[in-house]
Amino acid sequence: MAKTADKMICPRCGVEMNHHCDKLVYGTGSQEAELQENTQIDPVIDPLLGGVISEFHTCPKCGTAACRNA
Amino acid sequence: MEATRPLFIPVILGTARMGRMSLHVAQLVVREISKHAGVKTELIDIAQLPLPTNDAGEAIKHPAFSVAMDRADALVIVSPEYNHGYSGLLKHVLDSCLKEYIHKAVGIVGVSAGPFGGTRVIENLLPVLRELGLVTIFWDVNFASVQKVFAADGTLLDERYIRRIDKFLKELFWMAKMLRHGREQIPLE
Repeated sequence: MAKTADKMICPRCGVEMNHHCDKLVYGTGSQEAELQENTQIDPVIDPLLGGVISEFHTCPKCGTAACRNA
Repeated sequence: MEATRPLFIPVILGTARMGRMSLHVAQLVVREISKHAGVKTELIDIAQLPLPTNDAGEAIKHPAFSVAMDRADALVIVSPEYNHGYSGLLKHVLDSCLKEYIHKAVGIVGVSAGPFGGTRVIENLLPVLRELGLVTIFWDVNFASVQKVFAADGTLLDERYIRRIDKFLKELFWMAKMLRHGREQIPLE
């Protein structure tokens, strides 16, 4: 499974975030478009799983959540 | 984890119906949460969220709701039971976020005019919450025959609910602390 190696940086604190979850997200039209717009990465449909793997990250300092495509 | 950062546990009132008795329930839960040092809360009334109905999902995310869900360590959902299910508006609101919910605790308070206290709506909500990335606790609070539990002005008439809510909240707080630690400190791999 594809995995993004570099750490996400908290947009509020500037510290490295903790990657604690992967989730399979199925495309549902505008929701998928929103995800693409937010991450600036073309969603890549995993051919085996049938959806996009999203990574979820949380800031250890302020608790802010963020996500991006794997 | 910053030990000084208080938990934030908003209470979502899951109905917009006029004359809703669930409002009294939600206000009671907010009051009980507020008694605990180190825990912040607020009531989120879905009737007050101006979400459009000509689209759905994250495309219609409401900024204030998104910020509250992002800040939250856990949620309480107060839901009446309508025809064995939850209100369509509650699902519409919940579907508007995703990353904000991941690995956060949620507890459900069921409300009904009949004798079952929302047990069926709770069971129906569980798979939805799971798919949203929320972690359900195994304590619920069931307000059966809710019209007999509160006076018209919202005064609680049955003090046994205080102890039931207390047990529910203790489990929710524990799970909220554990999951915060996990989100912020424990990597996936």
